[in-house]
Amino acid sequence: MTATCPFFAGSATAVAEPEYTPYEAPAPLPGTYIADWVTLEDLTRDPFPTFAKLRQEHPVPYVPAAGRYFVTRYEDVHTVDNDPDTFTANERGSLMKKSMGHSMLRMDDPNHAVQRATYGNVLKPKAIKASWRQVFEESYERYAAVLREVGPGVEFVHHFAGPYAAENLRRVMGFENATDQDMIRWSQTMINGTGNYADDPDVWAEAKRSYDEVNTALDEMIAHYWEHPNETLISNIIHTSNGDEVTLANIRANLKMSIGGGINEPRDAITTIMMGLFGEPEQRAAVLDGTRTWKEAFEEGVRWIAPIGMYPRQTTREVELGGTVLPAGAKLGVVALSANRDESVFANADRYDLGREKQPHLAFGGGVHFCAGAWLARSQVADVALPRLFAEFPGLRLDPEQQAVETGWVFRGMTHMPITWDA
Amino acid sequence: MPSITYRRVDGTSATVVVDEGTSIMRAALQNDVAGIVGECGGQAMCATCHVYVPEGVELPEVSDDEDEMLECTTSDRLDNSRLGCQLLAGRDFDELTVDLPESQV
Ligand code: FES
Repeated sequence: MTATCPFFAGSATAVAEPEYTPYEAPAPLPGTYIADWVTLEDLTRDPFPTFAKLRQEHPVPYVPAAGRYFVTRYEDVHTVDNDPDTFTANERGSLMKKSMGHSMLRMDDPNHAVQRATYGNVLKPKAIKASWRQVFEESYERYAAVLREVGPGVEFVHHFAGPYAAENLRRVMGFENATDQDMIRWSQTMINGTGNYADDPDVWAEAKRSYDEVNTALDEMIAHYWEHPNETLISNIIHTSNGDEVTLANIRANLKMSIGGGINEPRDAITTIMMGLFGEPEQRAAVLDGTRTWKEAFEEGVRWIAPIGMYPRQTTREVELGGTVLPAGAKLGVVALSANRDESVFANADRYDLGREKQPHLAFGGGVHFCAGAWLARSQVADVALPRLFAEFPGLRLDPEQQAVETGWVFRGMTHMPITWDA
Repeated sequence: MPSITYRRVDGTSATVVVDEGTSIMRAALQNDVAGIVGECGGQAMCATCHVYVPEGVELPEVSDDEDEMLECTTSDRLDNSRLGCQLLAGRDFDELTVDLPESQV
């Protein structure tokens, strides 16, 4: 270990701001099917009928409303995930780069692998068992107490699912100088930047404020963990990287991406699985009596409604995919939400069904960008939150007096979910 | 060129000839051999490339990362369990027959 930490920034301006160059994608080639009837409003409200129609008729259409070709079938998504030479993650003009910096999620190997290696084993099963499982239990206690305090009728996403996921991530990363609410604000405002296709200046302003706040908080924690190493992600990164291949700018961008990707997804997985079990009393009974496992409930939940519904890729050359010839430089939306409902792989795909034949789902992506937080999500959702909620809140159900709201297609989940139980 | 034979639980098998440096996992994906998923693209992160190797064949030791992930396989981990993404044709073996597990997910 060197005496000086290579990652002290001194000030936030010492690190180059992410470069951002807008990019004009090439026009679709003649003969391409243009799905001009697809609207973002429809997708946001309920994307499944649209995706079902596209899978059936035009599995790789150009969708003007999204400025992308959609990849809607399971097989084609699998092809894209496993051919990064043709389908790069390093998308030109990526708003994510502008909002969060250039993280490993927008890199291909070998660059990506160098960045990914800095996460080491922090998010993996052994560390979860040794350290994080206990953290999840503590978060559970804290927010379950909030549910009890507010009582039946409480809105669940904002009182439990969101803060629970945020607090878990805060502690795994090691942001001792932030709160669960800071994490939620950072995550949401930077995600909003990533989706700011309308170029709304207010959205950019809020994203930038979070961007700067994360940098400041991170600088402080880097200085702290340099002296006091522990099992957190920030500590692991700075003590296993040398500052040459992995720079402070990289670390900042990678952690921002993880803040963006580590809260809403477990949050949405929790509520989605609850909705699945609420709607299928027999399956709920099977999980509660141990005939089915919570792990199965989890995997089927994220298969049914993939929390990350769509992610971008870009072609590096002209290539045919699912019957469409894509020009080089084409922007793709890889639609996990749709691939996970592909009837050729999942019979009765629209149903939450724990009895279905086991097939790998694509909710965590595939290939080198396979979600680094997958085990963390499984454990906090399937080992801790769900089993305890269903055991400790008897008769847990949607509150029939209030309206629940499910929304989104780039990200999808419950945005409002009032619950009740037999108190 | 090296070759890999995949034996399925139902008794059928598939043999593929591969370039040096190709992993057991990658070779299965490239040749559409069902029974190996390889979700994480070979990063020892997902445990969906689980295979059983024959007794008595010299192979590199199981690393700590591989060991951790082998604890997470869907079908039982046995003494001869390995991650298909960690074993490379040409480097670790020239010809190998592996048994596929009942399930990867
Ligand atoms: S492919 Fe994921 S562990 Fe081998």
